[in-house]
Amino acid sequence: MDLIHPRTVVDVAEALGTASQDGISVLVVGGRRHLDKGNPTDVDVELWTTQLDQVVAYEPDEMLVVVQSGMRCGALAELLAQHRQEWPADAPADATVGGVIASGSTSARRLRVGALRDTVVEMQLVTGDGRVVTSGARTVKNVTGYDVHRLMTGSLGTLGVITQVALKVRPMPERRRTLVAVGDVALATTIAAEVPLVAGVLGTHEGLEVRLEGWPDEIDELASAVTRLAGDTVALDEDSSFPRIPWWLWPDGGTVLEVAVVPSSLPGILAGSTNYAALAGVGIAWVGAASLGEIVAVRRRVEGTGGVAPAIRGPGGLGGTLPVPDVHRRLKASFDPANVLAPGRAWTPGTAAPRAPTSGG
Amino acid sequence: MADVDAARRKLEAALGPEAVLSDPLALRLYARDASMVEGGCALVALPTTTEQVQACVRAAVTHDLPIVPRGSGTGLAGAATPIGDSLVVATARMTGIVEVRPEDRLAWVEPGLPNLDLADHLRPMGWTYAPDPSSQQTSSIGGNVNTNAGGPHCLAYGVTSAHVLALDVVMPDGSLERLGAEGPEAAGYDLRGVVVGSEGTLGIVTRVCVRILPTPPAVRTMLFGFDTVEACAATVSAIIARGVVPAAVEMMDQGIVRAVESFAHAGYPVDAAAVLLVEVDGTDAGVAAQTHEVEAAADANGVSSVRVASDHVERALLWKGRKSAFGAIAQIAPHYHLHDCVVPRTKLVEVMRGVYAIAERHGLIVTNVFHAGDGNLHPLFSFDRSVPGTLERVLRASDEVVRLCVDAGGALSGEHGIGLEKRDFMSLVFSAEDLAAQACLRAAFDPDGRMNPRKVLPDGARCGEFAIAATGSGHAASDAADLPEGSWI
Repeated sequence: MDLIHPRTVVDVAEALGTASQDGISVLVVGGRRHLDKGNPTDVDVELWTTQLDQVVAYEPDEMLVVVQSGMRCGALAELLAQHRQEWPADAPADATVGGVIASGSTSARRLRVGALRDTVVEMQLVTGDGRVVTSGARTVKNVTGYDVHRLMTGSLGTLGVITQVALKVRPMPERRRTLVAVGDVALATTIAAEVPLVAGVLGTHEGLEVRLEGWPDEIDELASAVTRLAGDTVALDEDSSFPRIPWWLWPDGGTVLEVAVVPSSLPGILAGSTNYAALAGVGIAWVGAASLGEIVAVRRRVEGTGGVAPAIRGPGGLGGTLPVPDVHRRLKASFDPANVLAPGRAWTPGTAAPRAPTSGG
Repeated sequence: MADVDAARRKLEAALGPEAVLSDPLALRLYARDASMVEGGCALVALPTTTEQVQACVRAAVTHDLPIVPRGSGTGLAGAATPIGDSLVVATARMTGIVEVRPEDRLAWVEPGLPNLDLADHLRPMGWTYAPDPSSQQTSSIGGNVNTNAGGPHCLAYGVTSAHVLALDVVMPDGSLERLGAEGPEAAGYDLRGVVVGSEGTLGIVTRVCVRILPTPPAVRTMLFGFDTVEACAATVSAIIARGVVPAAVEMMDQGIVRAVESFAHAGYPVDAAAVLLVEVDGTDAGVAAQTHEVEAAADANGVSSVRVASDHVERALLWKGRKSAFGAIAQIAPHYHLHDCVVPRTKLVEVMRGVYAIAERHGLIVTNVFHAGDGNLHPLFSFDRSVPGTLERVLRASDEVVRLCVDAGGALSGEHGIGLEKRDFMSLVFSAEDLAAQACLRAAFDPDGRMNPRKVLPDGARCGEFAIAATGSGHAASDAADLPEGSWI
């Protein structure tokens, strides 16, 4: 396997221009943490973003940071912590910022911090044929043209290579506390509904974890409310991670599916699973599946509710039987005309119905 | 070749004759939105169902009419101003709340539903829809989606895009697609995210699945007066430096405060150079802690007057002052031109001073009310259009304001959009390749260019060939003659 290891955005543009000309297929790689997500793809070379790791601009007052895409999440967290701020990705420290965005990763605190895609306000990217494009602006609000960066977020490196992003960051909470209790997803769902300002309620096959963040008195107030619902709780110290054992630390082997359904469907989806962690009130669940049969069984339940369950570790691909709009085909043709970026990795539309011929409008 | 009569007959058959307008008065009414631009159209359709919207699009395809989607017509950038022989498809009669599902934190609504009607419907249930543009009494959810509307409360909660889970969209070929999903993630590229803020150029939204939030248990609204705008703006940064992101931080200058006070009688300090309306929400303890930090930040910056709303009546009054700003300025002059530029928060005062200087140079009255928390300024030029030469001065001043904001590192629009009004400024902030990529995105949805043509992107932005006729002056040298007056072209 050949390697492209660019130092600058110009290197990326030249490499992709050449790859498109010569029909060389490319897999974009950051911290190797999200490579299992997507359908199987066979490529000629890997393009590593890890030397694109510079901080471009950071204005704590603006709550915005601009970094290159190959920067590790751990390094970004350290930088932001100096000003008591955070980018709430909750990803492994060695994952790259670009990898987290391109894979459409979810924060464990999504209940409170929202979707990561909404933190990306500006992006520089290189299209499959080597054009450098910037979209968005370094402001927290912006309706100026089309958000090409939204298209790239979660597109698994199939439309372009993200080279730089401006991210909305937030003040680090004054205090944190994780409560552990006995209970199931149903109880987790109740807590998420009754105590809406918690940062996360995780229902796992081993019990409950509730993450509290905020001002000291506020945490005490939230903790009492949670304890009233959950009975006895044990408080972990300030520095404990949430979840205590994130999915990427689960024992190797098998597949981890990232289920996304409406929150009320979670208990039903998880009824047959013995290894899971579900974000109540959000509708995300990480489900361990030891065999292809288990993957199929989970997906059957998920698709019955209109949800999705791509594999994010191990084999299994994206799953999903619903055709995606034909717009996908045209977007791929525009942004990666030679089809060199991870061919087949993302969603493929079904055969399009022939369009009625029309004259120009 | 466009065949308006044939299209009208087809639409009357599909929608009923009362839902298709073609008399001169109706065409005149629909020839503009709330911007300063007046255009014209051939037909107006008022569908009530998704199927009828599909029928409208198919008729336009068959008979070769451009389509201009329209919500409530409160847009300020001319995105819903029709041009030429177009079919205006107005979703104003689609005002239903289809379902509210608190257990899934979502609601499905039709696009013509006014924003405030949704909030009013949710309130007794203990839920809220966060985006609250100042136009919320009349602006529709569908219009909010198409402009990615903001409002005072998007500082902490995010803009419309963060609150839209899924969209049912009639595509430019008449097919129906669901973009996004009710759950937190969907299959495919984020087309939902692309359609939000696309100003009616990618399709017609016929249903919206919005994210609803539980009403926070506690809320506190405060009004601070300052002797200088600098101290007022510095307080905003000081609040954030203390780890507080308020639900809303609104700043108003003396001109707007005086206009509002004589209109709304909300008890605003008319002697202050600027006031800051701050709202924090959360748990009881969280609100107490945030209030303490906000007051300390104001004190540290020499606040001259403080008012804390003691109950919901007083809170409503304080907000009435802010939300009636655009009504109040009618006392100053009969017309106004409202701007919308967004700059880094640290550049607020500098840009504001620049705006005052521009107004003075052109002999115009300017007032400022803006979302200080997110750097979104709304300079307001008040004027009388009937005085010869005034409109030209306003347009020249406006042109300078846009450039000032861009030079300060800002964007062209924070929440109103580009539409017709700012399309020829796009090359100030985007390169030819950036615009070409945007054109590619648009063409992927609408290969025939039928949906709201000539909006958002400047003439000449094309997918595939990277040659845009940019003159660098913000005034395209191309075929601008047929565009309506006031498009700044």
